[in-house]
Amino acid sequence: MCNSTMLKQEFLKKWIKGLHIYNNLNKCVTISDRKKAIKLSADVAIASTRKAATHWSKALMDDVVSRDGNNIILVQQILGGGQNAEKNNSGLITCSNRILRRSHNNIMACRKARRRVVPRCVKSSSIARKLVKNKTRVLKSLVPGGQKMDGHRLIKETLDYIVSLRVQVDVMRRLACAAERFHP
Amino acid sequence: MPKGTFITLIGIRVSKNHRERKKSFESTKNVTMSSRRSRSRQSPGASRISDDQIADLVSRLQQLIPEMRNRRSDKVSASKVLQETCNYIRSLHREVDDLSDRLSELLESTDSDSAQAAIIRSLLM
Repeated sequence: MCNSTMLKQEFLKKWIKGLHIYNNLNKCVTISDRKKAIKLSADVAIASTRKAATHWSKALMDDVVSRDGNNIILVQQILGGGQNAEKNNSGLITCSNRILRRSHNNIMACRKARRRVVPRCVKSSSIARKLVKNKTRVLKSLVPGGQKMDGHRLIKETLDYIVSLRVQVDVMRRLACAAERFHP
Repeated sequence: MPKGTFITLIGIRVSKNHRERKKSFESTKNVTMSSRRSRSRQSPGASRISDDQIADLVSRLQQLIPEMRNRRSDKVSASKVLQETCNYIRSLHREVDDLSDRLSELLESTDSDSAQAAIIRSLLM
């Protein structure tokens, strides 16, 4: 599928670029440092292929930035890569400020108590409803930014997220196999 | 979207043949404790998103998940699809983690490997 191949190429390019940027910013000495670098760059790369058009990709970027404020430089460069740096600088700075503010808001919002409505009737339909509600809750915890979505949008985002995850896994797997060939 | 409302999917049955699709879909809007309404089962505002759309999304989800692709002839409940989706996402997360482990051992240094990265890139494209 042509679309899928292009997506994989875009992901790979951004991932390798992200790795370089990350290593310029942070020292990677131990294996766990390297793993963190690889995983983080991969996550940023796959999220950036969506160009902030989906909620999960935005939420993922927010999460990356909130983990470590220095990561914002990585996010900026991957999101705005390949274009005139001076022209986009102010745009990126406002964008990154927005991301920082949003991640702060997210942290505040998480502290609000979650409202739960317990059905009183014990019919089979309510059992089915409860089952779906429980599964939906689990799904919300798995998809980035899922907590704020309703059932309809959640499923749409999940579809896109699964496709992107598969691209990420496929490229990483091929890279691992290829690298294994270099290291007998 | 007002806070505290969500649309719950109930018992959606999805079959391969869309003509025979039975729509036993009911949507309930739950509001916050502070402004609780009486439990009305059919909210007119919820028809914004049609049964068809949601059933279509659920069937697309089903097609994405490897284990469920062969079960299209049976009627599958939304709960099962959601369960399998969660399992699948979790397994994908685990794979990403494992692959990151493998790669961190294989790539001796992730910074000065421009030559190695270029070779690998040319292999993969």
